[in-house]
Amino acid sequence: MTGPDDIPGAPLPHPPDGFWPAVRRDLKLGVLAGLQTFWDLAKVMIPAYGVTLALQQLGVIDWLSGLARPLMSALGLPGDAAVPLVVGYVLNIYAAVGSMQALHLDARQITVLAVAILIGHSLVVEGAVLHRAGMNGFVFGALRIVAGLAAAVVANLLIGLL
Amino acid sequence: MQEFLHAFLSGSLDLLVRVFLIVVPIMVVLEVFEGTRAFRAVVRAWARVVRHVGLDERSAAPTLVGFLFGLAYGGGVIVRDVRRHDLPRRQVFIMSVFLSMVHAVVEDSLIFIALGASVFWVVVYRIAWAAAVTLGLTALAEAWLRRRRGDGAPGGR
Repeated sequence: MTGPDDIPGAPLPHPPDGFWPAVRRDLKLGVLAGLQTFWDLAKVMIPAYGVTLALQQLGVIDWLSGLARPLMSALGLPGDAAVPLVVGYVLNIYAAVGSMQALHLDARQITVLAVAILIGHSLVVEGAVLHRAGMNGFVFGALRIVAGLAAAVVANLLIGLL
Repeated sequence: MQEFLHAFLSGSLDLLVRVFLIVVPIMVVLEVFEGTRAFRAVVRAWARVVRHVGLDERSAAPTLVGFLFGLAYGGGVIVRDVRRHDLPRRQVFIMSVFLSMVHAVVEDSLIFIALGASVFWVVVYRIAWAAAVTLGLTALAEAWLRRRRGDGAPGGR
């Protein structure tokens, strides 16, 4: 998109003399780096977004929520709280918050669920970006689910003690 | 199917516009101010914080962007810096773990605080948890790499 790969990527040459020439060069570099990064992200985010939509429309979210229901009691949450959790995992935080509105949770339950969702959300799209950065998006998705649930369990226990 | 296509196209457009409007300004600001003393002071201050989870000064700017704006944007800067500075894999790993646990602190946290979640648990506790997980996983990954190499030599990914 921005032509040869070495424009935003390669080590930078010496900056030109003078204030304005330097600013102009940096602006140009910034726009090029911005477009390059935008393209890098778009290439992985759009297919990942398609996957999340397909998962949603194929009913995978409902199915996974059913599976996750029994886990919710470990977090001090009602079984229905599995829905916003899985919605957050597959889609994003905003969708999760939307489906939290339908539940009647107290302040402590909202906090515990918030911790789990804040650590694990948008796993497909953000996992694709991590994959692009050279990490394994699947492993990181699993890590965020496990670490997020563990953080929520610990938070639930500690809030009870305080 | 038509419904899916419609949702996909309008959602993609939404996503692209949002990413564009955030990524291009971030990159311009980074590029223009990266050389200035004020920016370097901020990055150095941040580097002194993230040093505690094993990140060096080169990783400070991408982590700061991710921490403030979101994993995707931090990831974008990571991709740029891997290309430009040849960031070592070990640093990319530590950044990815840390940012996986906590990113977009302001925006994401505020959404749940508005719902009634406690500020302490969604911000302070989450950052502490992120630091603990990052240190733990880095130690695990290093131990695993040492074992796989079958020697006691330090270093790693």
